[in-house]
Amino acid sequence: MKLPRGRLVRSRVVTDPRTLLVDALDRGVTGYAVLEPQESLLLDGEGRGVVTFETGVPVVAYHTGTERGGPPALADLAAEGPYQLELFELDAADLAEVHARESFRVPPGMAAERLVGDPALAERTREATPAGVAAGAAGVGGGVAGADGESANAPRPPSEPDPSPGGQGDAEADERQVGAVEAFLDDEEKVAAIREEARAEAEARAEQWGFE
Amino acid sequence: MLSPKPVVDTNVFIGGGTTPVHMVEAFAVASGKGGTGKTTSTLALGMALSEEYDVTVVDADMGMANLLFHADLEAVETTLHDVLVDGGAPVEAAVYERHGLSVVPCGTSLADFAAADPTRLRDVVATLAADTDVILLDSAATLSSRAAVLPVVLADRVVVVLEPTIPSLSDGLKVQEYATSYDTGTAGILFNKVRDDDAIARIAPKAERYFEGPTLATVPESHEVRAARRAGRPLLAHAPASEAAAAYREAVRTLDVRDGDSGTVADRFRSAVVPESP
Repeated sequence: MKLPRGRLVRSRVVTDPRTLLVDALDRGVTGYAVLEPQESLLLDGEGRGVVTFETGVPVVAYHTGTERGGPPALADLAAEGPYQLELFELDAADLAEVHARESFRVPPGMAAERLVGDPALAERTREATPAGVAAGAAGVGGGVAGADGESANAPRPPSEPDPSPGGQGDAEADERQVGAVEAFLDDEEKVAAIREEARAEAEARAEQWGFE
Repeated sequence: MLSPKPVVDTNVFIGGGTTPVHMVEAFAVASGKGGTGKTTSTLALGMALSEEYDVTVVDADMGMANLLFHADLEAVETTLHDVLVDGGAPVEAAVYERHGLSVVPCGTSLADFAAADPTRLRDVVATLAADTDVILLDSAATLSSRAAVLPVVLADRVVVVLEPTIPSLSDGLKVQEYATSYDTGTAGILFNKVRDDDAIARIAPKAERYFEGPTLATVPESHEVRAARRAGRPLLAHAPASEAAAAYREAVRTLDVRDGDSGTVADRFRSAVVPESP
């Protein structure tokens, strides 16, 4: 997979690739990210992940270590971290050839689900998917995406543009999520347990880090 | 546990009332996870506060700095990293005036981060405290290292930035527990990227039961916020008339900035018990 270098817009270590995905989505980045797990930096091993974006939505994933593309490349990346991240901006035209590789494509929300386990972000990414990307994703959507659960969370096939923003499918998904958040906040015991655990962790680390 | 912020009133030693008393409060703007819009919120709160106060914003997310990308500071030479190295630049060299704020950006180089000693942040904040009313520390989106937790340790109070989702609320509660452990209060919570007004009207009061501060505002998800990010400008500069910008101004009206004597604050930061790196 040959990509022009493009304009470097980020270079840093990230522990949580969520920041990358949200940043790319919010800024509507067209380009690609190279994620190099720190483990491979230290061991001088091979294996970098490449994820391309079109207006902030992931389109293609490839892993240079396993030489796998598409959803399996995300699986290869998900096992590792923290990462050295580099994010480049490119013209959409420079990505056209790579984006034409059907077997490398990933459904729009899959990186959010696989790399950071965030269904809400996945949903937001699907909503932001440009029509052209959605049409391409449908090519892999039938078999691969359906088999690995993307379609279970997608309220509609990505190839069918929603007639109205915030259509019925979105509304239902939002409703479910709001219900889950309310149930979480009503569960006083669960919240108390989270707080107690965090308090104990904070105190243990205070000692470890010399904040006492 | 010894408090990291022993309160020492320096006025006792320098004659109290005869010294002009300058007020300052330091807030850590924090969230347990990335992508909640923490940096956008820090700058928006800073700009809203700057209508009344002299505000200094510090990118204290030293391992993953991004304030400079939000505030038109990508090309600057000296950043917080240069101040935090042994024999480094004075703090003043890393302070830039932008959008009515004093901004201290942090660099993004991994090598610079490795060379920097985050515990020196305490002295940086102490120095800044002498010359500003409000300090906002844009904090790391993790609680997994000493450098990441340090801003929460040093601040008087935290502003917890939340998305109305279970992982975000759960991480926000953790931030508050860490803060409480270090005698840092909670100034309030700020719901960001809100898509459903009716839902947040039900969620916010339920969340407030667990947080020590009020809901400062609920900021709607909006294209103006994304456009500001793309333009590399703070929201309140890029889209001051937007609903999101109005929400941040509302947050600042709810946020009661407390008067702290700058001498006390500076001294407290300097005396915070933070050992040098091993």
